[in-house]
Amino acid sequence: MPGDHRRIRGPEESQPPQLYAACEDEAPAARDPTRLRPVYARAGLLSQAKGSAYLEAGGTKVLCAVSGPRQAEGGERGGGPAGGGSALAAALTAAALALADAGVEMYDLVVGCGLSLTPEPTPTWMLDPTRLEEEHAAAGLTVALMPVLNQVAGVLGSGEGAQTDSWADAVRLGLEGCQRLYPVLQQCLVRAARRRGAAAPP
Amino acid sequence: TVEPLEYYRRFLKENCRPDGRELGEFRTTTVNIGSISTADGSALVKLGNTTVICGVKAEFATPPTDAPDKGYIVPNVDLPPLCSSRFRAGPPGEEAQVTSQFIADVIENSQVIQKEDLCISPGKLAWVLYCDLICLDYDGNILDACTFALLAALKDVQLPEVTINEETALAEVNLKKKSYLNIGTHPVATSFAVFDDTLLLVDPTAEEEHLATGTLTVVMDEKGRLCCLHKPGGSGLNGAKLQDCMSRAVTRHKEVKKLMEEVIKSMKPK
Repeated sequence: MPGDHRRIRGPEESQPPQLYAACEDEAPAARDPTRLRPVYARAGLLSQAKGSAYLEAGGTKVLCAVSGPRQAEGGERGGGPAGGGSALAAALTAAALALADAGVEMYDLVVGCGLSLTPEPTPTWMLDPTRLEEEHAAAGLTVALMPVLNQVAGVLGSGEGAQTDSWADAVRLGLEGCQRLYPVLQQCLVRAARRRGAAAPP
Repeated sequence: TVEPLEYYRRFLKENCRPDGRELGEFRTTTVNIGSISTADGSALVKLGNTTVICGVKAEFATPPTDAPDKGYIVPNVDLPPLCSSRFRAGPPGEEAQVTSQFIADVIENSQVIQKEDLCISPGKLAWVLYCDLICLDYDGNILDACTFALLAALKDVQLPEVTINEETALAEVNLKKKSYLNIGTHPVATSFAVFDDTLLLVDPTAEEEHLATGTLTVVMDEKGRLCCLHKPGGSGLNGAKLQDCMSRAVTRHKEVKKLMEEVIKSMKPK
């Protein structure tokens, strides 16, 4: 970037080699539309943050740290490598876990779940899509649920295709996915609390 | 602790530190190679709590006009707010800039990769390796952690085969045929904190860096050649103390090389 003295200079422009590679249209493999990828969740792993959470689902990895509280501005900072499908859903879940880990009082945990709609000829809503499935999708949806209160915290979707009622079914499928994830997250917070208890001075 | 310096001095008198380490002892070092599937090469390094992740992305660029047979290696160190409350969001602050420049100097001086190896077609096409280093947890000694993460990530990078089609003059990339980079030397950094102008503590934590009167970083390669010496102000050090630091750096190099070789051997081929 011309005039940017804060970073090491590189070439003016560069292109990813994938642009020049033989076009391999790898279609995503068929699978059970309701399968959730195994999730690895760990809270309390950053020594410098008040609360933190790491979430891994398939190839998606999200790390979230909570600091503060500070005057006026929100005390949350997300970050970390994403990529791998359902990044927003993972980020929502990680953020809630990190806040819980920091001891912030909340009404409930927020759990996120992603969905994508496969293109014609047979549009089907798939739960927890991989990056490849998202790339080939006609539409995408992210739902956020507070499982104990059974209240929907948010719904975000975009795209075109399928009947209107199928979108309602998709939201329902997403909320079900959130409920299924909840026990894993509870376990994660319990373990983190135990670890903190064991490390604290008597 | 109300008087952290006095607290430290009590331990240093017995030749050890509050975390139980000796003055010349490094924290537990762990390295994980290849965890970012979207990068061409990656590595995660932990020195105690300090955690740095390095991701390398390879792209095409036109070689520089003053060096048509060379490619580029562009390091970028990011110290985001999540790694420590001392950092704010926004463009690279002073410490990030200093660390990025340090890494750039290490790459240049050590010749870890010959830029000529990154050239595909002189004057027309070369590789640029964007090396992004992100600190995830800041507990001191990020210079050593960044250097190690970069080296491990570079060893993980695989570049696809590229040929220039003579008829179309366009590049043709074969993603199925990949090869590792040619790593010439293995630079390893060893950092010290100076206490009360006299004592040297290796691998300082964030607290130790804060209480120190100076810092020093020595970068060595496997042949015992000095690649870089980083001493940003602070207490002066005489020749004998510098020599002690260099000797410690040589032994640290052996420790790091052994760890990296073990990790690479245990990895399944991609």
